[in-house]
Amino acid sequence: MSTLPLAKEGRLRSLADFYLTTIRTAIQQQFQYRAATYMYLVGMVAEPVIYLVVWSTIADQSGGTVGGLTAGEFAAYYIVWTLVRTMNIVFTPYGWEERIREGELSGQLLRPLHPIHYDLAWFAGGKVPWVLFYLPIAVVLTLVFNPTFDVRPLEIAVFAVAVWGAYLIRTFYQSALGLVTFWTTRVGALFQLYITLELLLSGRLVPLTLMPEWVQTAAWFLPFRWTFYFPIQALVDDLSNEQLLGGLAMQALWTLIGIGLFSLVWRYAIRRYTAVGN
Amino acid sequence: MNDAVVHVAELRKTFDVPEREAGLKAATKGLVRRKTKEVRAVDGISFDIAPGEIVGFLGPNGAGKTTTLKMLSGLLYVSSGDAQVLGHVPSKRERDFLRRIALVMGNRNQLQWDLPALDSFELNRSIYRIPREHFLRNRDELVELLEVGDLVKKPVRQLSLGERMKVEIVGSLLHQPQVLFLDEPTIGLDVTMQKRIREFVAEYRQRHGATVMLTSHYMADVEALCERVIVIHHGKILFDGKLGALSNTFAAWKTITAAMENGASDLSSYGEVIHRDGDLVTLRVPKADTARVTARLLAEQAVLDLNVEDPPIEDVIELVFAQENRS
Amino acid sequence: MTTLRVALLHLRIGVMNDLQYRVNFALQILQSLLALGTGLVVLWLVYSHTTELNGWSQPELLAVLGVQILMGGVIRALIQPNMMRLTEDVVQGKLDHALTKPVDAQVLISVREVQIWQAVDIVSGAIVIGVALVRLGADLGALDVLAFAVALAFGAVMLYCFWLVLATGSFWVVRMWFLPELFEGVFQTGRWPVGIYPQWLRFGITFLVPIAFAITVPAEALTSRLEWETLALAAGFAVVLFAFTRWFWRFGLKNYTGASA
Repeated sequence: MSTLPLAKEGRLRSLADFYLTTIRTAIQQQFQYRAATYMYLVGMVAEPVIYLVVWSTIADQSGGTVGGLTAGEFAAYYIVWTLVRTMNIVFTPYGWEERIREGELSGQLLRPLHPIHYDLAWFAGGKVPWVLFYLPIAVVLTLVFNPTFDVRPLEIAVFAVAVWGAYLIRTFYQSALGLVTFWTTRVGALFQLYITLELLLSGRLVPLTLMPEWVQTAAWFLPFRWTFYFPIQALVDDLSNEQLLGGLAMQALWTLIGIGLFSLVWRYAIRRYTAVGN
Repeated sequence: MNDAVVHVAELRKTFDVPEREAGLKAATKGLVRRKTKEVRAVDGISFDIAPGEIVGFLGPNGAGKTTTLKMLSGLLYVSSGDAQVLGHVPSKRERDFLRRIALVMGNRNQLQWDLPALDSFELNRSIYRIPREHFLRNRDELVELLEVGDLVKKPVRQLSLGERMKVEIVGSLLHQPQVLFLDEPTIGLDVTMQKRIREFVAEYRQRHGATVMLTSHYMADVEALCERVIVIHHGKILFDGKLGALSNTFAAWKTITAAMENGASDLSSYGEVIHRDGDLVTLRVPKADTARVTARLLAEQAVLDLNVEDPPIEDVIELVFAQENRS
Repeated sequence: MTTLRVALLHLRIGVMNDLQYRVNFALQILQSLLALGTGLVVLWLVYSHTTELNGWSQPELLAVLGVQILMGGVIRALIQPNMMRLTEDVVQGKLDHALTKPVDAQVLISVREVQIWQAVDIVSGAIVIGVALVRLGADLGALDVLAFAVALAFGAVMLYCFWLVLATGSFWVVRMWFLPELFEGVFQTGRWPVGIYPQWLRFGITFLVPIAFAITVPAEALTSRLEWETLALAAGFAVVLFAFTRWFWRFGLKNYTGASA
């Protein structure tokens, strides 16, 4: 009996084929969950809306601005926040925990493709229906909160790339964290820590300019600011061309570091998994 | 042995299992220092499987069957010994190796839950880099062989257990693997479905010359499919050979089932009475004595009907394990 | 009363069950600390830019945070586990166990699950309230404390009713797994006095999701700004909501038992 020949395309084209197939599958599947997705989006939007109202109230009380931002600018910040948030949803450590517990991982390890490709492709595909569902919510928010916007074409282009950079960064760091499940089932605690740090240092809670100086400095040395603050800034702030492109470069750098970290942990994780099995 | 598809030599797999007693004190002590016990799941087994063979792996729970399959498919790395499949070392999980094997586990599903199986097949096509013409041909052939039909168009979650098993098998074989590891493939299925799957495996092997390693609890699986049986218990191989030879090696007896006119009579002088159901009595008799005992029975008792059989394989296996446990 | 005894028994078993998982306590304390810490950081950020929000001073805002954390603990320890178990039982057809017992079904499904380690939040919320009161230099009379306790009780009842109505919805709309996350998001609005929100949102988190009654109103009692009309409204709304919930539950149950023959 002879082996099946490989498809004629090279490895890279085959990989692209896999990504496209998975993206298409993910879109199909997500459209089946319209109602649940809407519920989730509504819950998700509550977070920035609350911050928006609080800071706008303070701004209005304090003569129009707080931290140099007007209520309209806060509105712009947090509405763009919701779009960035929709785009940076990734496979969480809880997902890794379930994957290992339910034995799914064994099935994936039997295949000649690294599971991370599946996660990357799947969540990327999911974005299409998610953003479509999200758009009406964005319209409502805009009508209610009157954001002030001033965008250039370059800013839009950089934003479009930056949201994917945010997606990649979060994917690799959260997946690296998820691999800790190979050693302990209590990865939830670590993840809570991660989310708290992200909340404070990424611009998820407030624009980083409202944070004290030392926090802003610290944020430069961590990957978090590139997952929320930079994409939002690209659209909302008035960044120079160098800052915009430099930001993309920083995202690339942090992504590479993330890939390195993930690959390293993966090697040890697999060694451990195949030692004790499932 | 270079042309063996599966080559296993002195294969061992040991696990360190944490041991803990009940009670708060032990639990606190356990936080600081973990006591572990070494469990030998597979304890020095050796065998070779030639291309195209169907081998049945038989043994009770915890015997080491699934552990062996997992080592051969690369999911577990070996503690010591040699394992080679198609010339590859499984634990290296090389792409070329993974493309040529398939591991189908009883009730684990690898297909997308909410979508028709057809969509999951496309995913597999791209993962295994199957050329389109081959993919379509394999898919249609498998769908036909398993009589799956339009089930592939329904979301997997809407299928019954048996139907799901069938589409899972289709998905697992699209890449035409040369080696098939089947771990309890018929578990939880009804009798008709079990028969269907057995027939399929036989047909598939016939058509493609694949090598099959099958583990099962159900003797019917093994009897229907496997020419060769490996019996494993406590991680050791007890028997490796033809199925028919199994009873010859281990069971040097036959069973005589007699329908008596007066069932009340005591037949223990003829042999070991292993079953009594009204007028039907089953005796276990050493093989060599079968003819003599039969003659005596017919002469001395009022026998309406008499049947001489080899013991059922289950009984043989059970006896083998019982002996092992005692020793 | 048998019903009460059975309810208490279930509660006790639930607690005993949970106490076995000591690790969960440690984890919950960590989680509560992180959440509390985040809440305090936000407050501190707000303080650094203003001295009062919508007429609420800094310690008063702290009191609101404390009540929100406490109520959150009550929900996650006592209400949510039961309601989520109800929706799961409906999906898996396991509700019959609860329906064949000689105890009122609503009572049973409301008390049988408990996540006692979530009660850590009840304690930490109470501590935050204590600290806030100290900083306020508040001079609370017995009447204020009573008003607070009563307002809290009404709020808890309303939250219970809200959750039960949603969970009863699972008789018709089977998939409800997103409820905890969805509620958590909306519940965060309670961290701030509801007066800051635009009209429409304020209406929603008062009468649709009873957050205002559960958090802001008790906080008003603590900060001596509660008006009798508000408390009376809370009482009335609680009664009406409870009656409606009871009716809706029985309606849903009739529907359910009719369907599964």
